[in-house]
Amino acid sequence: MENILDVQNIHTFIGQYHILQGVNVRVPKGSIVALLGRNGAGKTTTLKSILGLTPPRQGKVIFNGQEVNGLRSFDIANMGIGFVPEHRAIFRDLSVEENLKIAERKKGDYLRKRDFIFDLFPDLKRLIALPGTSLSGGQQQMLAIARALVPDNQLLLIDEPSEGLAPVIIESMMAAIRELAKESTVILVEQNFLVASQLAEHYVIIEEGRSVQDGKMKDLAADKAAIHRFLGAA
Amino acid sequence: MNTFLRKNMVMLVAVLIMAAFLIAAAQGMEKQDFVITLLRGLAVGSITFLVASGFSLIFGLLDVLNLAHGTLFMIGAYLGWTVVVRPDTFVDLLTPLALIVSGFALGDVYPLLANRIRLGLSLRRILPWALIFVSILLFGFILPRYPIAIWDVENYAQSPVTFAFMADSGARLPVQPAAFTEISMPLAVIGLLLASILGAFGISLFDNTPRTVRLSWKNFVSIAVALVVALLGLIFNDQLSSFFYGLNSNWLFFIAVLVATLSGVALGGLMEATLIRPLYSRPIYQLMLTLGMSAIGIEMVRAIWGRPEFVMPKPAFFNGSGEACPATNFADWWANHCSTILLFDGRVRVYNEIFIPLVGLVVLVSIWILLQRTRLGMIIRAGVQDSQMVEALGINVRRVFTMVFALGVGLAALGGVLGAPSTGLSNVMGESLLLNALIALAIGGLTSYPGAALGSVIVGMIQQFIIKYGQIGIAIPFTDIIFKPTPPLVPASTVLLMVIVLLILPNGLLGKKE
Repeated sequence: MENILDVQNIHTFIGQYHILQGVNVRVPKGSIVALLGRNGAGKTTTLKSILGLTPPRQGKVIFNGQEVNGLRSFDIANMGIGFVPEHRAIFRDLSVEENLKIAERKKGDYLRKRDFIFDLFPDLKRLIALPGTSLSGGQQQMLAIARALVPDNQLLLIDEPSEGLAPVIIESMMAAIRELAKESTVILVEQNFLVASQLAEHYVIIEEGRSVQDGKMKDLAADKAAIHRFLGAA
Repeated sequence: MNTFLRKNMVMLVAVLIMAAFLIAAAQGMEKQDFVITLLRGLAVGSITFLVASGFSLIFGLLDVLNLAHGTLFMIGAYLGWTVVVRPDTFVDLLTPLALIVSGFALGDVYPLLANRIRLGLSLRRILPWALIFVSILLFGFILPRYPIAIWDVENYAQSPVTFAFMADSGARLPVQPAAFTEISMPLAVIGLLLASILGAFGISLFDNTPRTVRLSWKNFVSIAVALVVALLGLIFNDQLSSFFYGLNSNWLFFIAVLVATLSGVALGGLMEATLIRPLYSRPIYQLMLTLGMSAIGIEMVRAIWGRPEFVMPKPAFFNGSGEACPATNFADWWANHCSTILLFDGRVRVYNEIFIPLVGLVVLVSIWILLQRTRLGMIIRAGVQDSQMVEALGINVRRVFTMVFALGVGLAALGGVLGAPSTGLSNVMGESLLLNALIALAIGGLTSYPGAALGSVIVGMIQQFIIKYGQIGIAIPFTDIIFKPTPPLVPASTVLLMVIVLLILPNGLLGKKE
């Protein structure tokens, strides 16, 4: 299968700290790939490096056959990459509707995608006029994902979607991610292995800034020893 | 209703306290004194607001405390004065400025050129500096020899003070047109163009991000426009000068406001793109840089316009006099354009006390609409909170930063040129106004736009009422004592208010918790 994204041996520094020390991620088009690993392993930095928010010093990031490292973040995003950050980053001075509208890349993106987004997250429809911060954690997470759906993105980078959410909400979040994965490719950073294993088809394990193992999720799910070794989960 | 009350509680309390203050102030003075002082407070508040709002926009989005903001306000005033009093100086400047801009207008072409250059690593490192050095040498050689008709700071008869005095009394000093004597015209023109291209190319080489550029005619539109402006300015220099000298003072004033504001916008954009941007990760250096820029700006103004204070003539629209003045109502005023109008038996200066507050109000509403109703405003509001996330959405935040910085400085320059006919021009006008603006922002809330307006009005009112009470005295109840606040109490009172507000509300009246 053709790869939409190919991250080749990237090294990223934050200040003087050498955070990523050789990460490789291959993402087949149309799939969901989970980045797994313990806290502080470098999963979030990998997402940010793909988008150029923490630009890698070495290595290559190839998106749709084009090398994007060295480009500014907004240029990379405009090639068709959406970002749902950890802690959601909802704009508190903007209403829910403005939080969606600001993500437009072409005029009319929001109007075109509105129905699709509200089918996916019916809650957002009735909250549309409220300020971003009056939303609950789950609603903010939905809004953050919805925001990434407004423009036509081919790749979505979703960081910790289940963090801090109640189990019921996680269920509906997973359903939504499955639904949107029909339209685009997804890279998921997820601490909760149960969630990751039910969503993703492929995985990459990152440990101390290096990608140490990758493959099909169903193989990993069967390999209890690996799960325990890399993720500390049973 | 309840949520409205809860959300705007502080604002309402502040307005109530302000109203109580005004009612108390009104008890001790005549009605006409009260009205005039109120309007003066609004006028000072409006000018303060123009500076404070720009400062607050810049600080809110870019986290830059622009200590040069007051100096840029002052530069706006001096530029505006120059347009009104010596328009020929501006006409003479048009060509060299357009030539300097034209090199930078080729921005998208340089990466292509850079790709063609095959050099070793060390030579490649030296090249931009070498280009910039040659460019500076060329500018240094040509600019002092380029003929620009200007006043003479050293010679009183030809000094800005004399020009200002003559213009204010409706006359013009005869001026000598400048001519190419120290340098030949083609050499000057080609040299400036070359210097600009070399400098712009050198600066562009610092940017190493790979870019794919496709050349089209669009890349050459801006340089073509700049060159046409330069040539027209050169060919029609005399005609343009006499055209501007022939304009009436209303048109000249309007052009002065436009030129000063746009120069502020350009200066702000240039300052952000070249000096502020490299220092975003080092806020202390940024602070020192803006402080240094402020000092340099003041010295430049002293070198060009001299130290003495002078006035900017008011446009004729607000400067009528004669039998029919002061006007008794607005219809009367419209017919005669008197400089003063009688309101509640008090003589109110139309330009200072009515026009300036009106402009302040128009700017307040326009920027509010920009922030709340446009996409740019939405991006600014979002960027104030999390500029990285805005960039991740595919928005060029850097460009928005430059635009906001330019807008902020443009507002300050607008304040400068509008204030110049009422307060006059001096080398220290910027510093004292910046202090006022900072106090207003601390009172209103550092990053709150309505806070900037509220704080500025409060500062203006308090200062003007204390000045007024300095003249008429405050009768202390139950005693025979009449207390007259001395001039030092004027700034002290606002600082005191600031301290009280900050002790109760650390984020100011309308500021949000950080």
